[in-house]
Amino acid sequence: MLRLLAATALAMGILAAPAFAQSGKETLTIDLPNDAATLDPHLQWNTDSYSVYRNIFDNLVTRDADGKVVPQIATAWKYVDDKTLDFDIREGVTFHDGSKLTAEDVAYSVNRIIDPELKSPQFSQFSQIEKAEALEDGKVRITTKSPYPALLAQLVKLSIVPKAYVEKVGDAGFNAKPIGSGPYKFVSHQDGVRTELDANEDYWGGTPPFKHVTFRAVPDVSTRIADLRTGQADLVRDVPPDQAVTLKDEPNVQILSVPTERVGYLYINAEAGPTKDVRVRKAIAYAIDRQGLVEALLEGYGKPVDVIGAPPVFGYTEDVKGYDYDPEKAKELVKEAGAEGAKIEFLTSPSYSRAMVEAIQQMLNDVGLDTEIVSSDQATFLKRRQGDPANAASIAFGRWSCACQDADGIIYPLFRTGSTWAKYSNPDFDAAVDAARSTLDKDERQKDYVTAYKILREDVPGIGLYQDYALYGANSHLKWQPTPNESMFVMDMSWQQ
Amino acid sequence: MLRYAIGRLIQAAVAVFGVITIVFVVMHVSGDPTLLLVPQGASAEEIAALRHQLGFDQPILTQYLAYLAGLAHFDFGISVVQRVPAIDIVLSRLPYTIYLAAGALTVAVGAGIPVGILMAANKGTLVERALAAVVLTGQSVPTFLSGILLILIFAVELRWLPTSGVGSLSALIMPSIALGALSMSTFARMMRIAMVDELGKDYVRAARARGLSMRAVVMRHVLRNSAIPVITVAALEIGNLLAGAVIVETVFAWPGIGQLAIQSIQSRDFLVVQVIVLLISFIYVATSVAADFAYAAIDPRIRLAR
Repeated sequence: MLRLLAATALAMGILAAPAFAQSGKETLTIDLPNDAATLDPHLQWNTDSYSVYRNIFDNLVTRDADGKVVPQIATAWKYVDDKTLDFDIREGVTFHDGSKLTAEDVAYSVNRIIDPELKSPQFSQFSQIEKAEALEDGKVRITTKSPYPALLAQLVKLSIVPKAYVEKVGDAGFNAKPIGSGPYKFVSHQDGVRTELDANEDYWGGTPPFKHVTFRAVPDVSTRIADLRTGQADLVRDVPPDQAVTLKDEPNVQILSVPTERVGYLYINAEAGPTKDVRVRKAIAYAIDRQGLVEALLEGYGKPVDVIGAPPVFGYTEDVKGYDYDPEKAKELVKEAGAEGAKIEFLTSPSYSRAMVEAIQQMLNDVGLDTEIVSSDQATFLKRRQGDPANAASIAFGRWSCACQDADGIIYPLFRTGSTWAKYSNPDFDAAVDAARSTLDKDERQKDYVTAYKILREDVPGIGLYQDYALYGANSHLKWQPTPNESMFVMDMSWQQ
Repeated sequence: MLRYAIGRLIQAAVAVFGVITIVFVVMHVSGDPTLLLVPQGASAEEIAALRHQLGFDQPILTQYLAYLAGLAHFDFGISVVQRVPAIDIVLSRLPYTIYLAAGALTVAVGAGIPVGILMAANKGTLVERALAAVVLTGQSVPTFLSGILLILIFAVELRWLPTSGVGSLSALIMPSIALGALSMSTFARMMRIAMVDELGKDYVRAARARGLSMRAVVMRHVLRNSAIPVITVAALEIGNLLAGAVIVETVFAWPGIGQLAIQSIQSRDFLVVQVIVLLISFIYVATSVAADFAYAAIDPRIRLAR
């Protein structure tokens, strides 16, 4: 009898297995390097946090696969004048608690993030907004302090939160138990371990592809890859290029990569030290083999760029050429400037690839400079890099993304006189980026940015190195096209047997 | 005894106070979290505004006094990164640190003590040399390497154990071994030295001369006498295991205090770091006091002396 029972159980098990597999995948597990710092979408803005919470919320507008700004909660928008934009709000959208999403909620969301009381670290992305108001006809009107061309690009990042609920439970309560209108509902969060989400079956945009999604915090990249290989995780973020190459041969695993708006660049101090001499800055530009860096260190997951920008960024241009790799010319320039053996301080932190930094150091030393790497933790790095020019080192490697796909978010903060990052000042450059910031005319703006990039080429306060690719490891059944703005919307994913 | 205990407690309080003061000063002097919190493109005014809102523009002394005033009411402050009370974050991680320390201690004591005894009992033989190799391996292989090797062998190749994370007892096995290996070697070495030392003493020869078997001598007398130095080590090791599991916790995605500490230091989440420092100081003090009491329980001479 017992043996019969066991045999039946076994047979049932065998039969049940494929039946279960055919029913599709229930739970998607995603490994991120860190836990979400906050689930309140108006607080922390970092990749691991928004990878999670942006699935819980809808945004006012979003980007399609081609990077174009398209409707989400707003169905249409119209400029009333240069500083006033009216949005039509989508009908029939409900929050996870069943309440209706209205223009009031949209206006509240905008005003909440710019309210000093919230102390939002994201404030700077929305600081050009004067106010938002719900109009009587159900529209929302956003007023900016001056004509602000990057407004829509910034609103892609604005999550809509339920006014009544947030006011009822308070900021802390909302952060602990967020409610949105997005494709996934918050279930639970265990600090440093995982966040669990459930599908919102009533989602206005269609049925979400997985019933449950688990985001786990797995800091070590080797462990994330082991999770992927064993099937414990279906998707892992932040796979380094050298690991991606070895994973290519692995069965059941695929590498998903996408060229992003992020650009690897080298800052060069134009206001202090040996690099104050433009000839030394030009020598540095000639000394760096961008193609070599991409091939050797990024395994081809990157593309050399001529300017500090990338194709998905508005204002990016191919009309301005970079400096060709020419060590002989670099040596001449170093000699001409009398800077042979000049001490070049190379500031860096563990956040940046050590191999990249050392490769650049070698290239600079090869043309007669004496480059010294100074590594500190990220907080100290930022303090020095953004502080007094005399203490901001000669060069530093960085990977820049404004998550707004607009040159205004890149070269303005990096090089505009008075910006914290700028160790450089040129009134002509300032005039160009200021002009591009204050008109809504796209052709005018593009022209201004070409002018600005041309000035940067001559003055060399920094050089573009490569367009960064985002790399994800995924189960080979997962179908997903990652986006240039490094977002992670589960709604765009599916599972193929 | 009471006077001794009170003295110890006052010493401990002074030490803890000194530690939090030093950590406070060092962390604040080396930069505040504002720059890490804002998006890259933030302007100088926006950065200054957030710094002011978060209170980091106040003189360090003002911030320090405000912090102490909070501590006096058991208010440990709110994490500037997570916007959650710092104490809640640390307490939610504490159980995992305790599980892992317990697991590692089980490995360390369970393997280290018998290995030490075997080495002492087989002094000069091939057995001792073979065991010495094990001890040396445990002592010298860095945990980031042993951790990854364990994952590759037992999780990826053999699929016996989960690669990382929490939720089942099986997930505790590999981190415990990786973390316990170093302590295991320490225990084995200490046990061996203490045993060899004791075995050479006159009372052992006397007992043997009276006809007691070696086994009886070891079990009844030698072990007890050898235990004193081993307990001292154990107290220190428990402190280390609770505080020093940063790498193992990172490799195995184990959400303990060590991982939290390193992340909070990197993000300059001052108040969380302070709570962790307080907690770890407390653990060190508590374990060393506990060790004192343990000596007294095991060795009557110490009891009599007080």
